[in-house]
Amino acid sequence: MIISTIGQGFLWAILGLGIFLTFRVLNFPDLTTEGSFPLGGAVCVTAITNGVSPILATLIGVLAGMLAGLATGLLFTKGKIPIILSGILVMSGLNSVMLFVMKSPNLSLLNQSKIFDLLNFLNLPPDYDKIIVGLIILILVVGGIIIFLNTDLGQAYIATGDNEKMAKSLGIQTDRMKILGLMISNGIIALSGALIAQSEGYADINKGIGVIVIGLASIILGELLFGELTLFERLIAIVLGSVIYQLLILVVIQLKLDTTYLKIYSSVILAVCLIAPQFKLKKGGR
Amino acid sequence: MKNKKLIGFLAVLVVFIIVSFIKDNHVQKKRITENEIPTIGVLQFVSHPALDDIYKGLVDELEKQGFKDGKTAKIVFQNGQADQSKLTSMSQHLLNEKSDVLVGIATPAAQALANQTTEVPIVLGAISDPKSAGLVRDNQKPGGNITGVSDQSPVKAQLDLVKEILPGKKKMGILYSSAEDNSAYQVEKITKEAKKIQFEVKSYAVPSTNEIAQMMQVMAKEVDFVYLPTDNTMANAMQTIVDIANTNKLPIIPSVDSMVEQGGLATVGINQYDLGTQTGKMVASILKKESEPKDTPIYIFETGDTIINQKQADFLGINIPKSILEKATIKGVSKK
Repeated sequence: MIISTIGQGFLWAILGLGIFLTFRVLNFPDLTTEGSFPLGGAVCVTAITNGVSPILATLIGVLAGMLAGLATGLLFTKGKIPIILSGILVMSGLNSVMLFVMKSPNLSLLNQSKIFDLLNFLNLPPDYDKIIVGLIILILVVGGIIIFLNTDLGQAYIATGDNEKMAKSLGIQTDRMKILGLMISNGIIALSGALIAQSEGYADINKGIGVIVIGLASIILGELLFGELTLFERLIAIVLGSVIYQLLILVVIQLKLDTTYLKIYSSVILAVCLIAPQFKLKKGGR
Repeated sequence: MKNKKLIGFLAVLVVFIIVSFIKDNHVQKKRITENEIPTIGVLQFVSHPALDDIYKGLVDELEKQGFKDGKTAKIVFQNGQADQSKLTSMSQHLLNEKSDVLVGIATPAAQALANQTTEVPIVLGAISDPKSAGLVRDNQKPGGNITGVSDQSPVKAQLDLVKEILPGKKKMGILYSSAEDNSAYQVEKITKEAKKIQFEVKSYAVPSTNEIAQMMQVMAKEVDFVYLPTDNTMANAMQTIVDIANTNKLPIIPSVDSMVEQGGLATVGINQYDLGTQTGKMVASILKKESEPKDTPIYIFETGDTIINQKQADFLGINIPKSILEKATIKGVSKK
């Protein structure tokens, strides 16, 4: 039970890492997330049901998410549409794209192979496949982000988020950086969508509703619990934040509170986390 | 890494995973459910009058069969409220409560449950076509741990009703939305049934509500009556359809009772409460070890409640036979 929740926390953490790249580094509230997340699942599941191997199918899902990010990026930078609106436009448009891809609003993976089945030969107890696959992918994603942010390109990307005018004066093509960021971020978000769809056994066009909350929750919980951190530590904090958030939800369910009103519980948890740092500041007298 | 809290937390997590791995590896095969009273885990996708009625029917029927919640059985209920990200945790919780039978109400809930276990029996409540939802291999012979009740409307009973109240009208036009997967499936099914009794069937697909007005004008010239499948687009545009049908004196046979109230002529619809009762019967039979999901066919209703809109019948000048009126639910008061 708790193991399964930790596994889910790992898979959702990938979403948090994706959102981190735009929300924290670029200071973008990118709403494409709620479209690219189910898109990754939709494309991946469709590919698997058509006989593509799960790993390749997952990668195709990532590619689809990157294209969604590209669309938002172009609307925002070239079309001069505000970022929130660009994201909303792409998000709602993706609903039709997913219907076109899946040919139905919901597609099941029952009796199909999934990426987690690759570990079947290890004969693990249930749910450990999610932990191991989740860990491997988290290491790849976290490693990838760190390597990327330490290249010249990555430094230019960070500069764009820190101070766009300054970055421009240094000759950085900030528009390109924004598009790049939206693509990478949405690719990672779609990766999370593809993995979650495989772990839950189906893709659904409405799966994206509310996922941005889960992603932000892992970022915010991580920041709240662990405070000032280096880049590497921050990424780890997001992963832990995601696990803690899933555990909190589990506690709410286990406490036998009426799950009909589950959404307000998660909203309260998040609101408390967002308010808490202010009290800390006052106490510390900083 | 210098942050001590972070390292500490990480260490706890790693230790926990390793310890429970060793423990789980040990007891993995020993999981036996030993409950004094049977536990029934129910996962409902969202609150909505139709689904709530199913749950009510389920609980009432279980009580009738000797499984009273809190006394002779334990019913654990979870409602996802349309938030799909929580369905997995909820399914896990139901399994953890050592449910002897699981019930999934509506497709995403059923899929979430199906993905968690291949051993505990799962009974489906209200899934139109379990096979195309990927839940069972075959609707007649499920073969796994899943069986259940379909919410497909009783097509044959509907056509029989048409024969009785609209004698001689054989040209049937099906109006449906091309954007909805469930509609295409229903159109195929009703076309097959209608052809068996020598009806002439023409289907008219529209991409959205905006094209319905024109399509109805065309249909009015070509068909004797309009059939509407269970289709959200049509349900939303019911008023448009009724307006044009009325100017052309064209009877409408919808597949859902609420659409009869809005101006359809009549239908035979499944009562959602009955759907729940049927689900309850299946659960009880599995609990009593009288049947197993793998060879219990998916239950499809062959009949349901007859619903007649008297006002609409008067308007169209249609005389509904007494024998039907007696057993039917009448909607819409006659102006006479």
